[in-house]
Amino acid sequence: MTADAIRAESLTKYYGAVVAVEGLDLAVMPGEVYGFLGPNGAGKTTTIRMLLDLVRPTRGRILVHGLDCRTSSLAVRSRIGYLPAEMPLYRELTGGGYLDFLGALQKTAVDPKWRRRLLARFDVSDTDLGRRLGDLSHGMKRKFGIVQALMGRASVIVLDEPTSGLDPLMIEAFAETVHELKAEGSTTIFLSSHVLSEVERLCDRVGIIRRGTLVRQTSIADLRQETPRRVRIFFEGPAPEPPPALAAALTRRGPRRWDLEWRGPLGHALDAMRGLGVADIEIEPFRLEEYVLGIYAEGSEPRH
Amino acid sequence: MLAALVGRSLRRHLGLVAGLAVVLSAFQILLVLIARNLQREGLFSQLSALVPPVFLEAFGGSIIASFSGLSAFGFFHPVVVLTLCCGAIYLASELAGDVDEGLVDLIATRPVPRSLIVTRSAVVSGGVTAVIVALMFLTNRAALEWFAPAGSEAPRTSAMLWVAANLLAVVWCFGAAGLALAAHVRRRATAVGAIGLAAVVLYLLHFVAASWAPARPFALASPFHYYEGMRTLIGMHNPRPDIIALVAASLALLGCAYALYWRRDL
Repeated sequence: MTADAIRAESLTKYYGAVVAVEGLDLAVMPGEVYGFLGPNGAGKTTTIRMLLDLVRPTRGRILVHGLDCRTSSLAVRSRIGYLPAEMPLYRELTGGGYLDFLGALQKTAVDPKWRRRLLARFDVSDTDLGRRLGDLSHGMKRKFGIVQALMGRASVIVLDEPTSGLDPLMIEAFAETVHELKAEGSTTIFLSSHVLSEVERLCDRVGIIRRGTLVRQTSIADLRQETPRRVRIFFEGPAPEPPPALAAALTRRGPRRWDLEWRGPLGHALDAMRGLGVADIEIEPFRLEEYVLGIYAEGSEPRH
Repeated sequence: MLAALVGRSLRRHLGLVAGLAVVLSAFQILLVLIARNLQREGLFSQLSALVPPVFLEAFGGSIIASFSGLSAFGFFHPVVVLTLCCGAIYLASELAGDVDEGLVDLIATRPVPRSLIVTRSAVVSGGVTAVIVALMFLTNRAALEWFAPAGSEAPRTSAMLWVAANLLAVVWCFGAAGLALAAHVRRRATAVGAIGLAAVVLYLLHFVAASWAPARPFALASPFHYYEGMRTLIGMHNPRPDIIALVAASLALLGCAYALYWRRDL
């Protein structure tokens, strides 16, 4: 038995001659919020579908809490709550009927208190519960999608583009729920999203997939440390010669300004600036987006 | 779980099921009323002379031009038979519809065995058609009870029961074929279109084979070949072997559906 909540081992899926996922290895620890990122067509959805045993791997395997998603499919699916990127709906059903129906397909009964709490958090009223899903707005349908994924209190939650179509208040409610589940420590969240600010805010670690292969897997904390910070230094007079401690980080030198890309603790840079007549300093916060877009761009040349 | 899945499926198809039940049952009453009028006015002998022999042969002989034959015709009228077959195919094709509409992402990602999803469609298709045929039978018997002219010879209940069972076996056979194809394809329209078209072609083949000997060997492959309603009605044919053959074919196709759905990517 492995301790990982999710573990992919040499996971591979071909659709005829098309490679969807190739030799994917990844590990998600219990209680972790894991961001699974990649450009469109990179293989994110195929990986998620193999995790849910909707799609069968050509080679390799994917495990949830040590159980093979293929051979122990039912046991795995009883541990997973899933929100698909495109919300499938029974348009003729009411919101309440939809949740009741999906609840009836769970192995364990849905806790009504927890369901009510989720509905309240996502501002779903009794009136909304009685309305036909086909008549609801995209955002409201998405709320029902999130509630159905979370209501079973599964130990692994797989969310594909969870906040697409939600208003800022509901995005906040979603983040609050993720933080709450994270604090409880018993739920692992596997989240795929193109909203990188959201991933940066919610996730402990990210895995980046490109052309079916995992190209990076790292923690957000490590990324913050490793990624150079952009620092702009403005001087009261003409910009002086940079001291040796800063020279290597200098990317641009203007008449009264330096631009630096600084790695490591900023205190060392500030120490080196002492006595140089600094008028102002601008520090750009770390942005996952830049890092991820850089990785996407590395692989943007056409396939051969 | 099965109850929830079947209940959901029935509610989704309620309009179609109710429509089929009402129209096909009403048709039984209509045929009995027409047969009563023809009987009262003594027009059956003229009718028999008007119908081309090829049609008489295809529908089981001159018995069709009698009160008994016409009042039972609602069980082998081509439109009725093909409508029931297409209904069974459509209901069975929900398997592909779930994939088509993405609903499989809600059902098959929960701890629901794939076999249960196939069972749901088999139960709905088989059960609904059984209920509709039962309603047709009951309506036919009630109409005969109320409208048959005194002294007329109504079809025997036991013979009609065999005819209804044989009809249901044909319908199940096409439903099972629809289920097997729907277990493999991604579009509901593909399953309904392909098997629906096959039903029409096989019906025509059966019809042509009744009067054209070279087509007869091919007609053996048509499920309609194993449904001789009119001859069963007059006691000239034992339908049991036909029903067994059709049910066996349905079960084989059902087995294929389970195997195909189990191994496919959803």
